[in-house]
Amino acid sequence: MYILKKICVYLVALLGIVVLWASTSRQAMQFLSEHRDNDMWWGAHQLDHGDLSSISHLDYLNKFHESLKTEVRHTSYTGPKNTVLFLHGDSYTWKLRDTMFDGICDYKFIGWSNPCKYHLDSTKRNVLVIEVTERLLRNYYGNTQIIDQLTDTGIKKKALSEYHVTDPPHTRYSSLLPTIDINLFFNKYINQNLEYNLFNYKFIMPVFGCKAAINCYLFNRASGDAVISEDKQFLFFKETLDPTGPGSSLSPVSDDEVARLVDNFNTIYDYYKASGFREIYLSIIPNTVTIVRPEGYNNLIPRIQNDKRLKMKVIDIYTVCKTTSELLFMRGDTHWNKKGKQKWVDMVNEVLRHPRN
Amino acid sequence: MTFNSLQFLVFFMVITLWFFRLKDQKGRIWLLLLGSCYFYMSFIPEYILILGGSIITDYVAGLLIEKNEGRARKAWLVVSLIANIGVLAVFKYYNFFVDNIHAGSLFFGKSLTLPMLKIALPIGLSFHTFQAMSYTIEVYRKNQKAEKNFATYALYVMFYPQLVAGPIERPQNVLPQLKEFRPYKWDNIKEGIARMLWGFFKKVVIADRLAMVVDRTFSHSHDSSSIALFAGILFYYFQIYCDFSGYSDIALGAAKVMNIRLMENFNQPFFSKNMGDFWRRWHISLYSWFYDYVFNPLITSLRNLGQAAIVLSLLITFFLSGFWHGAAWQHIVYGLIHGVALIYEYFTRKQRKKLFARMPKAVGNVIGVSVTFLFVVFTRIFFRAENMRAAMDYFKGIFSFSRGSNYIGMNRLEVCLSVFLVGLMLYRERTLPGYFIRSDKRFYFYTIAMVVICYYLGVFAENQFIYFQF
Repeated sequence: MYILKKICVYLVALLGIVVLWASTSRQAMQFLSEHRDNDMWWGAHQLDHGDLSSISHLDYLNKFHESLKTEVRHTSYTGPKNTVLFLHGDSYTWKLRDTMFDGICDYKFIGWSNPCKYHLDSTKRNVLVIEVTERLLRNYYGNTQIIDQLTDTGIKKKALSEYHVTDPPHTRYSSLLPTIDINLFFNKYINQNLEYNLFNYKFIMPVFGCKAAINCYLFNRASGDAVISEDKQFLFFKETLDPTGPGSSLSPVSDDEVARLVDNFNTIYDYYKASGFREIYLSIIPNTVTIVRPEGYNNLIPRIQNDKRLKMKVIDIYTVCKTTSELLFMRGDTHWNKKGKQKWVDMVNEVLRHPRN
Repeated sequence: MTFNSLQFLVFFMVITLWFFRLKDQKGRIWLLLLGSCYFYMSFIPEYILILGGSIITDYVAGLLIEKNEGRARKAWLVVSLIANIGVLAVFKYYNFFVDNIHAGSLFFGKSLTLPMLKIALPIGLSFHTFQAMSYTIEVYRKNQKAEKNFATYALYVMFYPQLVAGPIERPQNVLPQLKEFRPYKWDNIKEGIARMLWGFFKKVVIADRLAMVVDRTFSHSHDSSSIALFAGILFYYFQIYCDFSGYSDIALGAAKVMNIRLMENFNQPFFSKNMGDFWRRWHISLYSWFYDYVFNPLITSLRNLGQAAIVLSLLITFFLSGFWHGAAWQHIVYGLIHGVALIYEYFTRKQRKKLFARMPKAVGNVIGVSVTFLFVVFTRIFFRAENMRAAMDYFKGIFSFSRGSNYIGMNRLEVCLSVFLVGLMLYRERTLPGYFIRSDKRFYFYTIAMVVICYYLGVFAENQFIYFQF
C-alpha cells in the first residue's frame, strides 16, 4: 500500500510537469488541438452556437442559440467582368467567395494580420476594399505599424529581413551552445491552455452549464467575456463595453485620435492609389452594442466617416444598421447575421457596378 | 502567475509533491529557489535580472557588514540601502518625479521636460525590496547573522508564497526555518490547504464579486447617486480586505503546507477601536516594518524636540507609507490623512479616555469601531481613485446627495448575496480564527465544499490581486 501510494505521488508530480509543459509549448498545444476527436465524448467544446454563447457556456442552456449559417446568395450579374477585387478584411468577411460579387474576374481576400501583397494587372479595374470591425479599429489603425504593414515600407523591410540578413559569425565555442529562447518556458496563454487540457471536455460541460445557469438566471450575468444586455436579448463582447478599452463603443475618443486614424487611412490611400488601384474603399463594421444599445456611444464611426479630410470612399454599413428595422447582428455571437452580411455584400456590389469617383 | 490561476494550482501541486520527495534540505532549497524563479518569471521573465541584481548586492553587503565594524560597516549598509532604494526610485518613482518637475517648471513659466521611462513596474518590487532591506538592517544591528549560503539567502527574498505581495518578512523568522529540514506533517498540510481555500474563497467569491460594484461606481461617479457611490466605497473597503487578506491566507497556507510559518498580516481590522488600533491590525508586516525601521529611529533621533518629535515622526512615516503604495499624489494624501488622524488621537487620548469612561464599555466600543470604520471607508477613496481629481469628484458625488443612477453593477439578489458573504466572512474570522481541522472526514468535507462554492459562486474575471501593483 505504501509503495503504491509512493508511485501515485510520483505519477501525479510527473503528470503535473507534463501538463505544465504541454500548456506552455505552442507545438504541443497545436498537436493536441489537431488530434482531439471533437465528435467523441472527450472532444473539446465547440463554438457551434455562437462564439459568445459558447464561451459563456450559455449554449448548454439553449440560450442565445442561433444558426451560424451566414452564406450569402450568389450573384445573378451577367454583364462584363473586368474588375479585380482585393478585400482586406477579417472574420466578418473571410468566408465570402468570388461568386457573390458582381462583375469581377478575380477576387483576393487578405486577412488583416497579413501584409497586403498584390500583383496588379493594369488592364483591369483594380478595386481595394478595406474592411475593419469597430472593435479592432483603434488598435490596428491607431499606430504606425499598420502603415508599415500595409504599405511598401513594411513589405520592403520584411523582404530585406527575410532574405538578405546574414547570420553573425559563430565563434567555435558559442556555436556549441544551444540557443535558448527564454520565452519557450513561458506562455501568456498558459491558463487558457491549461483550461483546454484539463477541463475542456464534452463530458464536463454540464458542470460549466450549471455555473452558467446560476450566473444567468440568478444574477443576470454571463461567464467569461460575454455580457448579457439589459433587455436580455443579446450577448455583448465584454471588450466592447469596457469604458476604458480601445475596443469599446463607450470609451472616450479624443479629436486628436480621430485625426490620427484619418491620417493613417489617408497614408494608406495615397500609397495604394499611387500603386495603381483605381478605387479604394473603407468599410467599418459597427460593434453590436453600437447599434442595439447606442446610449453613451463615442461616435467613433461617424466621426471618421464624416471627416472631410478622409480620402477613402466609404461603404457606410453603419448608417444602414442604424436606420433599418431589421436585425443585422447575431444575438449570441460577435458577428453579424446572414442579413447583415448580405446587406454589406449588396453595398459592395453597388460600388462595383457603379463606381464612385 | 497569480494565486487565483490554474497555472498556480498545478505549479503548487508539483512543487509541494517534489518538496516532500526530497530527503535533504539542500535539495529542497534549490527546488524552492528554481520554483520561485519560474513563479516570478511567469509575469515578465526579464525582471528576474533586477531581482537577481538586488539579491547579489544585498548578499555581498550582508557579508561585508558582518565582517566590518565602525564606518565601513555603516558604509556597506548605506550601499545596500542605496541599491535597493535606487531600484525603487528608477522603476517606481522616476516617472512621478519627471511629471512633477514638468508641472513645477510650467508653474514658474518654463517648460522642463525630461524623458519618461516606458517600462512596466516589476511585480511586487516594493515588497521584496523592503524584505531585502530588512535583512541588511538586521545584520547591521547585529540581530541577525549574515547568511553564508547564497541559495538560502536568495530563497529568503524569493520564497514564492510571499515574493510578490508579502508578508514582508524578517530574516530572524524565515531564515532559520529555511535552513532546517522540516518533516512531512499531515496536520500542517490540512491546516495549510484549509487556509488556502479560505483565501481563494475571499478572493474569487467575495473580492472579485465586490469588484464589479467598485469598478462600476468609480467609472460612473459622475452619473451615480450618492447612495450608489457610498455603496461603492463601502464595498471597496471589504473588497481590498478580502483581496489582500485572501492573498495573505493563500501565501501563509502554501508555506504552512511546507511546514514554514510566515507572519500574520491581518487581525480583524474592521473591529479596530481607533486608528492606532487599526494600524496594528491592517497590513501588519508593512507597518511593523515602518515602525521598526522608520518611526522608531526617527523618534529616537528627534527626541530633543519633545511632542513635535511625535508629530514629525508620524507625518514622515505615514507620508512614506502612502508613497510606498504608489507614486501618485492621492496615495501620499491617503498616508498623510492617516498620519494626521494618529496625531489627533495622540493629543486627545486623555479627553477621549475620560469621555468613554462615562459611558458603558459596549457603547464606547461601538462608537469607536463605527467612527474608525467610517474614517477608513472615506479615506479609501484616495486609495482607489486614479488621481486626485477623480477622488475629489467622488467625494463631491457622495456629499452632493445627487439623484443619479442607483445601479451599482449587480442585481438585488447579488447585492444581498454579497452582503451575506461579507457577513459570513466577518463572523467566521471573528469566531473561528484558526484553520486547523482535526478530523480527516471534516477536512475532506470542508475541502470539497469550498472547491464547489469557490467554483459556482466565484467570479473568474482574471482579476489580479490589488497589491500586486505595489
